Amino acid sequence: MAPTVYGIESLTDISLDSGTRLTLTDGPLQLGWKHSGMTADFIAEVMALPFSRSRKDYMQAHHDIGYLSNELIENAVKFRQPGEILIEAGISEGSFLIRVKNTIDGATASRFQQLLRRLQSKDPGELLLEQIETNAISSASGSGLGLLTLLSDYDAKMAWAFEENKNERIILTTTAAVAMPPSSNP
Amino acid sequence: MEISDENFRVWAEQNEVYFDGVFRLAGPDAYAPIYSLISGLLHDGHKQVTFNLTGLEFLNSSGINLLAKLTIEARKMGDLLLIVKGTHQYPWQAKSLPNLKKLHPLLDLRLA
Repeated sequence: MAPTVYGIESLTDISLDSGTRLTLTDGPLQLGWKHSGMTADFIAEVMALPFSRSRKDYMQAHHDIGYLSNELIENAVKFRQPGEILIEAGISEGSFLIRVKNTIDGATASRFQQLLRRLQSKDPGELLLEQIETNAISSASGSGLGLLTLLSDYDAKMAWAFEENKNERIILTTTAAVAMPPSSNP
Repeated sequence: MEISDENFRVWAEQNEVYFDGVFRLAGPDAYAPIYSLISGLLHDGHKQVTFNLTGLEFLNSSGINLLAKLTIEARKMGDLLLIVKGTHQYPWQAKSLPNLKKLHPLLDLRLA
């Protein structure tokens, strides 16, 4: 069955075969929260190198890549079902691209799709402020705030593909792109 | 009083709260002790409170949620002036701190 795609569909076709590929596996040491930060730092170190001629561009690229990667990997670690997390990253046509693939359960998928449907009809900046106000009166996590900051504050382009798997699990593939070098942003 | 781990430190001196380092805690529960520390200071009877973020290198979205929640807390206390000191040195600050001003227009945001 074809995957259900939200966001910018063309992003899902971009090949990242020539980029960096990392797999986070549940080994004997177990996959934990701190691995998201470590992995995001590693990706930022590797991918920001081409911008090292200008200190300003480098700092900006390193930070933007680090923040984007960290948010996507944190989400994968937080919401995944047991199994590996596949991460691909690369620089292509003036953008940094990252794709994160992991398995989630049906309930998480429907909750997430609900948020993505709201995104189709509303400005992410407006939704971000709304979500912050909602979060201030409840302590629930998983509000999608990270994604809203990426879309609103980082002008990230994003796509989410949901593919049904056996055992009522869903394979979620998230692709995100931000313009590089950052000084080319308006 | 101070809360810290190997990556970050947050502490208060009189009516100023300092954030230092990299904050990547796992969600509202993990940020709760920091929230309590600062929320306590907001309700301490000061006329103004400053969040000094000039040493805050990195903050994940759960941390941004914490700052936003504290900003809303300050907004609810009509007679309290909240000053937020930030820096252009860390790129996330110019991107995300203006959202605090949208939540609380009377907040004094100083990005240097």
